[in-house]
Amino acid sequence: MCLAKLPNERKLTLCRKYYMAGFAFLPFMWAINAIWFLNEAFWAPPYPEQKQIRRYVIVSGVGALLWLVGLISWVVVFQQNRSVWGATADYMSFIIPKGVP
Amino acid sequence: MDGHVNIDRDDKVVAVEDSVNKGVKKKRRSQNQEDASGGQPPTQSIQPGAQNDGGVALDTNAAFSNDHVQENGPQGVVRRHQRGGGGAEQEPAGSAPPARRGTTQETRQSRHPPGEWEEVEEEEEELKYGAQHVIKLFIPVSLCMLVVVATVSSVTFYTEKGTYLLYTPFHEESQSIGDKVYDALRNALILLGVVVALTIVLIILYKKRCYKIIHGWLLMSSLLLLFIFTIIYMMELLRGYNLGMDWITVSICVWNFGVMGMVSIHWHGPLRLQQAYLIFIASLMSLMFIKYLPEYTLWMVLAVISIWDLVAVLSPKGPLRILVETAQERNEPIFPALIYSYTRMTQMLLEMEQWRAKLVHREKEIPQGGGMQKMDMWLEMEMLRLIPFHKNNARICLVNYYQLNIQPLKLDEITKIDAMEKDKILPERGVKLGLGDFIFYSVLVGKASSYGDWNTTIACFIAILIGLCLTLIMLAIFKKALPALPISITFGLIFYFSTSLLVVPFTEQLASEQVYI
Repeated sequence: MCLAKLPNERKLTLCRKYYMAGFAFLPFMWAINAIWFLNEAFWAPPYPEQKQIRRYVIVSGVGALLWLVGLISWVVVFQQNRSVWGATADYMSFIIPKGVP
Repeated sequence: MDGHVNIDRDDKVVAVEDSVNKGVKKKRRSQNQEDASGGQPPTQSIQPGAQNDGGVALDTNAAFSNDHVQENGPQGVVRRHQRGGGGAEQEPAGSAPPARRGTTQETRQSRHPPGEWEEVEEEEEELKYGAQHVIKLFIPVSLCMLVVVATVSSVTFYTEKGTYLLYTPFHEESQSIGDKVYDALRNALILLGVVVALTIVLIILYKKRCYKIIHGWLLMSSLLLLFIFTIIYMMELLRGYNLGMDWITVSICVWNFGVMGMVSIHWHGPLRLQQAYLIFIASLMSLMFIKYLPEYTLWMVLAVISIWDLVAVLSPKGPLRILVETAQERNEPIFPALIYSYTRMTQMLLEMEQWRAKLVHREKEIPQGGGMQKMDMWLEMEMLRLIPFHKNNARICLVNYYQLNIQPLKLDEITKIDAMEKDKILPERGVKLGLGDFIFYSVLVGKASSYGDWNTTIACFIAILIGLCLTLIMLAIFKKALPALPISITFGLIFYFSTSLLVVPFTEQLASEQVYI
């Protein structure tokens, strides 16, 4: 969908919907929101709704980054401690890598 | 299909010229040039000679030369009128637009070539834009194949045999090739039966206007693909690369991925993202085919399905054709999630709905009878009738969007519409490819690559792209919805079997004998 062709209020509602949806453990949606509306929020010629869009974009971007950092750190922690945690880790594992013979 | 549009254009030209309002058409012309060729040298300069040998000044400004020609020379009008066919001219000029529209629709089927001058113009445009279309389709098709080939050659899960689809009860366990082919044929026919049955169910549902069921069906299938098949894919990928992963990360990833996919396919999302999701879905689907179909069955299915595609799109009572025509009658879109397009059409349709509501509203306001207003109203209605016509196109077929260049002209005629609305509706022209085509192309290439022979894989890849090129050329010639599978798949099958049975043994023989050609 081409954002530039949408009227401003629809841009705002779309951005808000994406932003709200992101709270349902959907950081990817935030990331898409931030990237998609980046141009609208910062470089488009000013219009009344832009301020709100900018706020949503910033919050979504920061949220997505936090999620990313959190997820990566969790994965690192898990991979480091998988053998230490023993049965708990095995229980949590989606795939348990096979040892190299 | 394009013929219809040309005819509409003809009728409209006639109507416009009969009316008082000629500036309208002038705009139409100039808009045509700007919009269609985007600053390229005007192809219309050829036309005055072709369309009107009445010796009208050829040295006028190119953008307006046509208008002068058409306005000054009534000859030109008459001639185009005649070429356009019978329907419109039987009526007195300037009669009530609805009646004219009725005749137009009736005569649509019969009249195809509208006139030489238009053909010249359009063919040149198509040649110009053809290459772009080809490239824009090559990239997604190649990406889809790339995903499939990469997966097939790196993850063994998709080449292991053992479990098969429910629809293929014959497992080709016999040793003799004859039995295997017989099994494959039976399997393929069963599968074809399923496909035909489902297509017919879809059409019946569509005819009965059970949109909720159809949308539910599509939602369910994309849900299945985006969640369950993605989990399977991820599991096999991780297993293939022997990486450990915990459930928390996996569930967060799949949840995000799936929800975003559903949103971008069925609701609003960036175009790139939607395209990426459609490509991914198509490759997942073709991986499933590669995994769960027995070997010979798969080749047989490819052949059978491409024949079915041919029948379904081209035969007069073909289901896909019926689907297209019904959709046209109703001025409705065909469902998203079935077609890959490189322009966003579904979004436009939503806008279109709002716009149409506005128009209906406006119709009430305007008192009937005013000449100019009536004209405008008629043009608007005509346009509304036309626009969805372009959207509604067959599922597993290539769809021609060349005719879309007519819409901006019409839009521009309507002076009342403000720029914003115009911008929203201005369509980009493009070719659409059904997701089914993506799937079967990828199945062929993926299956070829599963034997581990890169020569064969690349031969199949090139064969399919050549077939796609030929289909696009045919599209430019015939200007109607065409099945995209037959040519490509035929080429692919020929290339596959000739390469794997003849060329590769030959080159190996040459290599082992140390003969260099």
